[in-house]
Amino acid sequence: MENLKAVYINEIFKISKKKKITSVFIFTIISVILSAIAVYSLNNFAGIRITGSSEFSIMVLTILSYSVFPLFTSFICIDMFAGEFAEGTIKFTLTGSASRFNVFLGKIIASAAFIIVNLIFAMLLSLIVSLFINKSIPNFLQILLSYIMAFLPIFIFALAVVVISIIAKGTTSAFMLSIFVFFAFNGLALAFPGIKSFLFTSSFDWYRLISGSYINYSKILRIFLILLGYIIMLLSAGYYIFERKDI
Amino acid sequence: MYKAIIIENLSKMYKNNRGIQDINLEIEQGEIFGFLGPNGAGKTTAMKIMVGLMKADKGDVKINGFSITHDYEKAMKDVGCIIENVTPFPYLTAYENMQLRGRFKKQVDETQIDECLSITGIMKFKNEKIINYSLGMKQRLGIALAILSNPKVIILDEPFNGLDVEGMVEMRQLITDLSKQQKTTFFISSHLIHDIELTCNRVGILCNGKLICVDSNNNILQNYSSLENYYLSEVDLNGES
Repeated sequence: MENLKAVYINEIFKISKKKKITSVFIFTIISVILSAIAVYSLNNFAGIRITGSSEFSIMVLTILSYSVFPLFTSFICIDMFAGEFAEGTIKFTLTGSASRFNVFLGKIIASAAFIIVNLIFAMLLSLIVSLFINKSIPNFLQILLSYIMAFLPIFIFALAVVVISIIAKGTTSAFMLSIFVFFAFNGLALAFPGIKSFLFTSSFDWYRLISGSYINYSKILRIFLILLGYIIMLLSAGYYIFERKDI
Repeated sequence: MYKAIIIENLSKMYKNNRGIQDINLEIEQGEIFGFLGPNGAGKTTAMKIMVGLMKADKGDVKINGFSITHDYEKAMKDVGCIIENVTPFPYLTAYENMQLRGRFKKQVDETQIDECLSITGIMKFKNEKIINYSLGMKQRLGIALAILSNPKVIILDEPFNGLDVEGMVEMRQLITDLSKQQKTTFFISSHLIHDIELTCNRVGILCNGKLICVDSNNNILQNYSSLENYYLSEVDLNGES
């Protein structure tokens, strides 16, 4: 447990020292502000009501879930695995007396923490901005649940990037492969709508299932179980390859 | 005497049929063991397996009584190492890199980190990012990382690489002092045979993946004028030129 804690703190420390962490917050702020300007202009000058106060935070979440979050999560995961393999710094990490399981788990928990911090930051920012746009109290519980639900598919994408990063020879190939997987899964969902529900990329906006007046609990449970299956499969595959990899 | 390192039937073959075969070796506590061999003999492969960076096809390594395969964390708890080259995180400072390593060890504080940086002569560069370090400075940092928290076993692959003459003398002295004063066990590979001769108590030669001989420095120097002559004769006998 001590070693796992050490790996986790080290990974968070390394993430905090990278310029990417500043970039992700800047991009999130820009996305929220641009969305706010667009919504405010349309609401007040074009006479079109685009969103209510709760919907603004959800709209921001949808924009970020398909852009900034997966992009920067993949950067961080690639740096953690493919980057360390390419630079040789993985030797430093692995000889710190933590077992490979603890190193792998520590890195995964750190990437999950990165996603959670991003989501919290985006949620708080969008809530504050939505107060200025709509001047009414948003449905905080629904927004909170939506942001919690959004974590799962982004985390699954992070795990997919981790598996790719362990296999890939370098950071560029890992990034290109990750982008390919993201677009291939989205393309498959368009080409074969029958298998859409089995593709995790189709669940990036599954939090919308709780935003209507009727909530389909069985569908939510089904998607949750599919996402859980992805997590188990990707965690197992990632650890299996990481454990067997010769440095 | 307590065996700090036990290597049993260690084998690892690559697809090109090179690697190491059936290495057996026991190293006592406080010993400074020199691991010699021509390029491609398998020294780094053996050392990588010893610290868990590679998996052996067969055999095991026990450090301080714990198997590296089955009890990795316990085996590595009191081990410091440099393998192949020093690879600290380039975007962090020397002090931050030491902090990263220190989190795995108990009771490592700022004083201890500063002490290790002072011993290796890079204290004045402690807040500089590694990206600006020379090869020699990185090597000194590698040694500082290896000795942090006084490990019982230190495994060093080419520790004198990139060091200036002054640095080599200082590091040799450091190794000898730690071995004598704290009974630290050293396992060192180097192609600088003169440094091995001056530093190590016992020497093993690896050739074509096999450990062809192990002897104490005193015995060797009774029969040969230098370790270099002994090394060349043993390697020649085993078909290397």
